[in-house]
Amino acid sequence: MSYMLELVNLKKHFPIFGGVLKRRVAAVKAVDGVSIKVNRGECFGLVGESGCGKTTLGKTILRLYKPDAGKIFFDVPKDVTEEIAALEKENLKSRRLRRLREQYDLATYRGRELQLLRRKMQIVYQDPTTSLDPRMFVKDIIAEPLVAQGIARGEEAKKMVAEILERVGLTSGHLYRFPHEFSGGQRQRIAVARALVSRPEFVILDEPTSAVDVSVRAQLLNLFTDLQRDFNLTFMFISHDLSIVECISHRVAIMYLGKIVEYSPTEEIFHRPLHPYSQALIASVPVPDPTKRKERAPLTGEVPSPVNPPMGCRFHPRCPLAMDVCKQKEPELMDVGNGHFVACFAVSSQTHYAG
Amino acid sequence: MSERSRFDEFKAGMRPRLKEWRFMLKRMRESRLALAGIIIVLIFVGIAVFAPLLAPPHGDPFSVPQDMEILVIQTSPTPPSTRHIFGTTDQQYDLYYACIWGSITAFRTGLTVVAFSLIVGLTIGTLAAMYGGLLDEALMRFTDIIIAFPGLILAMALVIALPGIFAINLSLVFLLVLVVASFLLLIFHFDKKILLIVQLLLLLSLLSILFFPVQMNLSLTRLDKVLLSIALVGWPGYTRVIRGEVMRVKNEDFVEAARASGSSDFRIIVKHIWPNTIYPILIVATLDIGSIVLTAAAMSFIGLGADPNFADWGQIIQRARNWISNVDLIVANLHAFLIPGIFITFFVMGWNLLGDALRDVLDPMLRRR
Amino acid sequence: MAQESILEIKDLEVKFYTYAGVVEALDGVNLSIRRGEILGLVGETGSGKSVTSLSVMMLVPPPGKIENGGIYFRSKGKTQNIMSLNDASLRDIRGKDISMIFQEPRAYLNPVYSVKDQISEVMLVHRKQEFLQKAIEALQKKGRGKSFEASVYRRVLKTENSVATGSASRFSRNRLLAWMTRIGQRIGTNFMSKFTRKKTLKSEITKEVVRVLKDVEISDPDRVAIMYPHELSGGMAQRVIIAMALACNPTMLIADEPTTNLDVTVQAQILNLIKLLKKDYNSSILYITHDLGVVAQTCDRVAVMYAGNVVETAEVVETYKSPLHPYTRALLESIPSPGKEFKSIPGIVPGLINPPTGCRFHERCNYAKEICLTSKPVFREVKKDHFVACYLYGGSN
Repeated sequence: MSYMLELVNLKKHFPIFGGVLKRRVAAVKAVDGVSIKVNRGECFGLVGESGCGKTTLGKTILRLYKPDAGKIFFDVPKDVTEEIAALEKENLKSRRLRRLREQYDLATYRGRELQLLRRKMQIVYQDPTTSLDPRMFVKDIIAEPLVAQGIARGEEAKKMVAEILERVGLTSGHLYRFPHEFSGGQRQRIAVARALVSRPEFVILDEPTSAVDVSVRAQLLNLFTDLQRDFNLTFMFISHDLSIVECISHRVAIMYLGKIVEYSPTEEIFHRPLHPYSQALIASVPVPDPTKRKERAPLTGEVPSPVNPPMGCRFHPRCPLAMDVCKQKEPELMDVGNGHFVACFAVSSQTHYAG
Repeated sequence: MSERSRFDEFKAGMRPRLKEWRFMLKRMRESRLALAGIIIVLIFVGIAVFAPLLAPPHGDPFSVPQDMEILVIQTSPTPPSTRHIFGTTDQQYDLYYACIWGSITAFRTGLTVVAFSLIVGLTIGTLAAMYGGLLDEALMRFTDIIIAFPGLILAMALVIALPGIFAINLSLVFLLVLVVASFLLLIFHFDKKILLIVQLLLLLSLLSILFFPVQMNLSLTRLDKVLLSIALVGWPGYTRVIRGEVMRVKNEDFVEAARASGSSDFRIIVKHIWPNTIYPILIVATLDIGSIVLTAAAMSFIGLGADPNFADWGQIIQRARNWISNVDLIVANLHAFLIPGIFITFFVMGWNLLGDALRDVLDPMLRRR
Repeated sequence: MAQESILEIKDLEVKFYTYAGVVEALDGVNLSIRRGEILGLVGETGSGKSVTSLSVMMLVPPPGKIENGGIYFRSKGKTQNIMSLNDASLRDIRGKDISMIFQEPRAYLNPVYSVKDQISEVMLVHRKQEFLQKAIEALQKKGRGKSFEASVYRRVLKTENSVATGSASRFSRNRLLAWMTRIGQRIGTNFMSKFTRKKTLKSEITKEVVRVLKDVEISDPDRVAIMYPHELSGGMAQRVIIAMALACNPTMLIADEPTTNLDVTVQAQILNLIKLLKKDYNSSILYITHDLGVVAQTCDRVAVMYAGNVVETAEVVETYKSPLHPYTRALLESIPSPGKEFKSIPGIVPGLINPPTGCRFHERCNYAKEICLTSKPVFREVKKDHFVACYLYGGSN
């Protein structure tokens, strides 16, 4: 028994160098302690605004960035992760702990191990125009993972490319063309084909529908659901578009300034958002129904810079429910029942624990 | 069956590229200046290719023949006549022969220097841009030092300073190759086994230097020295341009996507970064060929160039240096410097127009993408 | 017509002559904006909504050319065809009667000038006389009274006026300024600058800039006014752009996807701001977007564009409740909703170099008839204040 993906207190900071000697003066705390568990075969939605770190989180999971702290477990049996957690508590220097981490914790992988990882985890980028090399043929773009990882080449690679093209709804006539000859939706399909050609188990979809027209989005969403079913994929769907995430995800997590403030099954979180930020976020989404108009904007102010996040709970400067404790301590994610977790002092003081 | 389909594959693959090239040619045909440039360069290519027919050599083809019969009477240049189509210059060197074979030298000058600069520039520029940090700083500061010197003057100093004969210890070469190889290994996935092998080889080469001092002698002609010095002075320009371009492309999404697909750094550089960056650099290179030939001619004119009887335009003009001190002499010996001068002018102009045309054509291509 | 329209676009045709071919970007666009309303212009990529907005300001970049049609703008009682205006009159209209704001705010702010400088530039171009007048009045007020300062004010004002009217030479003004400098060296350096018209003009404009910044709900206008664009966040920059657009009280504001790049919470703030400004300034707004939710929340009427034509225009509730054109229907149905399956429009947006014959939507339309392939339907009023261009509603003659 294992989770597809388990993150334990993952952190990624980007240093800022300043001054004459270019020393590290500050850091952008893009991801600052994220712990989530993703089940196999589900679509896990990750929602947040700009600067919250969701894209960075996705890329860190994929090891396109090296995490500064925390652990990433990919398809690791639960007893191993529990053992590691137990060992951490008692003795940080234990050799067994170190060996286990080197074997199972993605955060420690380097070189060849990382390359083997690429077979199992992939990513689809937001902008299909920039994520495809403009000077390569479509067939080479899609075949690249196969060739680069040594899975197949030549005839066999061509066969696999043709197979996957059919699955995403393109034809072999598209092979010898350049990306700029296609529409946005078709380019995104090419990107999806490239991600899936090596038959990964886990795919991160980084805002895959944002750069695409409204009428094409539904096509892409249908494609994603079909592919998930056919290939038994696990998705992490990163987006700032709540309406789409609501339709396609099984569970949703909301991020703010590098931390997860709430996560739960989709229906639960959209009908009963508990964290004040989640409530404001969901209320801000313009509903395509002109008979339901709102008068005031739900949230004032702007997202602060992740370089200097506020002390205590990061949301407290804009929070209507801010209390004194919020300015001093950071709330932890707590279980409030139905698989619903919230990190908020105001909420936890009003709700009972699950059980 | 599979043979035929492979050919079909090839055709299918070439078709879009042919379409692009045909589009490019059409655009170039539309600009008259571009056409002029192409024609001029092609004319010179023709001259260079058919040089043995146009001016049959006796012995060493690059040695300009002197008219011995007239030489015993006078050494001053003789104007064009039936005997010598373009006339002769000081010491009775035949201008026609020099100009024809000089075009081969010109091509050789331009192309080898550009090739050297491109190779060095690509290597250093790409490494500096890809890996940044201390490597970038070190390489760029070194490049800056070269740029700080005025090019022509440094080239002249190098020509004088370079020895005619090099003695190289082969093991040093081996060492250099190993250093470069270990650099490249940084680019491949870092693997402990390969590192061990490299360390062993380094040790072996160090030992071989001590125990097997094998020497090799390289000799440089005067022309080689000129080319080498111009090349050594010219590569920093390319390096900076390439580094800038690589840094721009390095942060593009598709490069990161290639990394996510498992491509090694080497593969990313060769298959993704270089195809997207070299086009502007090719334009710079084309334009540069003209100025390199001009610089070489200038150095020859000063006297630092090729051997006295070498077939090189600059060298031939240098022969006329004694015969331009007053107006009468100039008028009398116009042919001695004007004709090779015209050759140089048209050669440089042709390449410049070609470079401009390429730039105009590639710009909409870049924009279209 | 209940309200009068301040902008009417009739049968606008715009073509782009590129080396790849002639792009028929707009193929007879009909649009009208009424006073004090927010008209949403909805369309996907390639529908021509941006080109339409640029045409109104005659800012279509080459190789684009306006081939046909008329753009009638009514302001201060008279109607003029924008296409027939010369450059000077166009410049007069741009920024003053019609202003425009764009998608990426920081791209439209000059990075080397502060916010205050940029907003005052707009004001100086169009309202210079007004401010000059105010500056002179302020100086005159200061010149009343018996104090030495007042007399200096009077003296300076007189000299400047005579220089302006040409009755005195610059020489006398320079002499005066030299005299003042000598006094200034004895009293204090700021002495001289206080009295000149230019400085007072600047302070008048700064006061107005701060007022406009406050109107766009920037909480600390004095601090923001001296900031540079790179110091502003996305939402703040967009507010500054809106302030610049409103600096001269335009009759109409064109907003080309102003909130697309902003976070959803900031977008909600800006949308509310736009609705508020419509009330306060009574300007009409042409709001271009592809987001049907934004349209539903903000606009009074909506026009739907497809491949260079306006296919439907109606009041927003009417459009969402009973869309008439098949494209509008398909668009509304493709909005993802939980529990419902995802419906998309089959096919892709046609290229505009060789556009489809007849109705440009016929290749993807479920209701296409024979006539749709051959001739284009006319844009006409089919229900009360509900315009459609579709043969489903007759008009096949």
